[in-house]
Amino acid sequence: MTEPSATAPAPTDPLEPWPDTVDWRPVSRSLITVELINRAIWVVVVLAGLTVGVVLTDHWIWPAAMAAVVVAAIWRSLVTVRAVKAWGYAERDNDLLVRHGLVIRRLSIVPYARMQFVDVTAGPLERAFHLATVQLHTAAAASDAKIPGLLPEEASRLRDRLTALGEDRAEGL
Amino acid sequence: MTAAYSRPQPDPGPDGEPSMAAAPGDVGGPASASTPTAADGPLDSAAPSLVTGAATEAGSPPTADAVVAEPRRRLHPLSPLLSGAKSIAVIVAALSWQTLSQVGIERFALVVAVVAVGVVIFAVVGWLNTGYHVVGRELRIQDGLLWRRNRAIPLDRLQAVEMRRPLLAQLTGLAELRLEVVGGGKTEAPLAYLSVREAAALRQRLLALAGRTPGVVAAPGAAEPAPAAPERPLFRVSNRDLLISQLLTPQAFLLPVGVAFVVMQFVLEGSWTFVGIASTMTAMAGVLLQPIRRVLQDWDFRLARDPDGRLAVRYGLLETRSQIVPLNRVQSIGVTWPLLWRAKDWLHMRLDIAGYAGPQSNDDKRSDRLLPVGVFPAARQLVWEVLPGVDLAALPTLPPPDRARWLHPFALRSFGTGLTPEVFVARSGLLTKELTVVPYARLQSVRVVQGPVQRWLRLATVYADTAGGRSGVAQDRDVAEAWWIAEQLSIRARRAREATSQLPDAQQQVPAPAVQSPMPADGPAPGPAFADGPAPGPAFADGPTAGPGPASADGSVPGDDAYWRRPPQP
Repeated sequence: MTEPSATAPAPTDPLEPWPDTVDWRPVSRSLITVELINRAIWVVVVLAGLTVGVVLTDHWIWPAAMAAVVVAAIWRSLVTVRAVKAWGYAERDNDLLVRHGLVIRRLSIVPYARMQFVDVTAGPLERAFHLATVQLHTAAAASDAKIPGLLPEEASRLRDRLTALGEDRAEGL
Repeated sequence: MTAAYSRPQPDPGPDGEPSMAAAPGDVGGPASASTPTAADGPLDSAAPSLVTGAATEAGSPPTADAVVAEPRRRLHPLSPLLSGAKSIAVIVAALSWQTLSQVGIERFALVVAVVAVGVVIFAVVGWLNTGYHVVGRELRIQDGLLWRRNRAIPLDRLQAVEMRRPLLAQLTGLAELRLEVVGGGKTEAPLAYLSVREAAALRQRLLALAGRTPGVVAAPGAAEPAPAAPERPLFRVSNRDLLISQLLTPQAFLLPVGVAFVVMQFVLEGSWTFVGIASTMTAMAGVLLQPIRRVLQDWDFRLARDPDGRLAVRYGLLETRSQIVPLNRVQSIGVTWPLLWRAKDWLHMRLDIAGYAGPQSNDDKRSDRLLPVGVFPAARQLVWEVLPGVDLAALPTLPPPDRARWLHPFALRSFGTGLTPEVFVARSGLLTKELTVVPYARLQSVRVVQGPVQRWLRLATVYADTAGGRSGVAQDRDVAEAWWIAEQLSIRARRAREATSQLPDAQQQVPAPAVQSPMPADGPAPGPAFADGPAPGPAFADGPTAGPGPASADGSVPGDDAYWRRPPQP
């Protein structure tokens, strides 16, 4: 049981509550590569579209837009590196903790008993880098407990553990 | 799945043709055959009899047998006409006044007649292909013409049952039965239409099956004594109050301006054509639609407790709705004090139930009223009935820290959060005040979110998510306090869950007389009349100090003092 004394909440880092009881686990760093490749593909597509514009009309706005896209992509990529490092999850006795986000930081606490189903997904790019995403769904649409960038064995371990715990403690609504 | 269970049935229905029984079996196929049996535990008693078919008539427990042997039923034979009429109204509305003036009245009538015949034929074919029956603890519904659909609805997931009677259905003595199940974006399984008696009997039966005590289900079928014990009326909203409350809405306030504008335009232009006037009237009706609809929908609003302790809500003028909600299905309660109602000290309350579509859906279609309009003492009594032990007048909340003033320069003091022994409370809103009450036992997940400005101010927001679609929000708390609230919410939610799962029979189905009203002793308040039930008599002896006295077991709940001492500021 993880029950800190109710009277003394330790002031902690905004991203890491209850540091003494929670063992945060990071997601795989390969997720950075996946995200960067995703972004690169997107940028190439947009640049191709803008190039068509340049060829057709030769207006100054097209090169400007291209430059803007490249700058935005570089900036987002820098953020991505840090954002992936900010993802984390922790399994406690009774609930799953997931935190993510840099600009807007979010932490979800989802009790195993409330689990309705678990999704494990892996897109083509994720599969190429041996990654998978585990998502825990509850009856509330607002709860988001999504963990990307897990190694396949870790993903299936997590899935099995979540379903086992969910079966143990499940009840309706 | 139809292949498995439709074969042994002796007769497809009261007035069925033989083709009906065979048709769904062909399409259902082996793919869907496995789905219902794999679904849930309670089926176990029914499953073997499904496989062996007619042989079970002799063996197996008598109750399960009687349930399984039930033939598939049709909807009422008038239902295609009624549903057809609905679509025709929609089509006529789509054709609009403009078309009428262009093509002339005869052609218009002709088009409508052709469409009507087509729609009715389509509806009749649909009706022939629709059927429902109860198997074990499931309701099974088959429908669809080209894409056949067989749905099995596990009744222990049933959240609420609503009986709707639109105007035409009232004239013909029919009713539509709607079942709310978790996970649907819309109402699953509307059974339109059944005769009223049939609908009432089916509803009683489904609710009895949905309760977690399978022993109650001894008497299936229409033999169920529907009016067994009288309901205990709780509350009634006077129609005068309802009317006034809807006049006190922004739309009604703007109406004179709109009328003046239109009249002025006509006077200046001097063109009085029929189409022009009709279009203007339609446009005006559009503006006024919401208040008018509210009045029509909430007309004669009555609340009662049925003999099994469930909440029965009835309202509506043109379309009457009668909804039965087991109390343990209530996900949260929202109380709103609209600005224009301040003078009257009125408020309205809504009841969130899982299964109704999320907050983005059309507000008018939802059946989530707990109180369309009322005074505070009435609201307090109702909250006490729905969430035993929760006193609306004794829900202390604390505002966010002062530095949150940067985010809410005026409204800071109207925000607030509190943790009482039973519920999580959140207040918000300066002009339109709102209060959300979420019982810990209904919490689905807890989220803590911190935006960039909040990080700079060392604040965070805590969300308590429920399956009802709306969350309780603790806006802009101090970071340490936010973590503490999140921790407390998850601990208390776990304790509440454990308490309910250990005593499945003693859910919140408290027998009615056991719950005493928190109403003060000086009798019914002015305004809406209280219906004093026949059973317990006025049990208003307890003052507010008695609060969560008789109903809640206080010893097991964590003491609350800790929360009201604000945690040390970092």
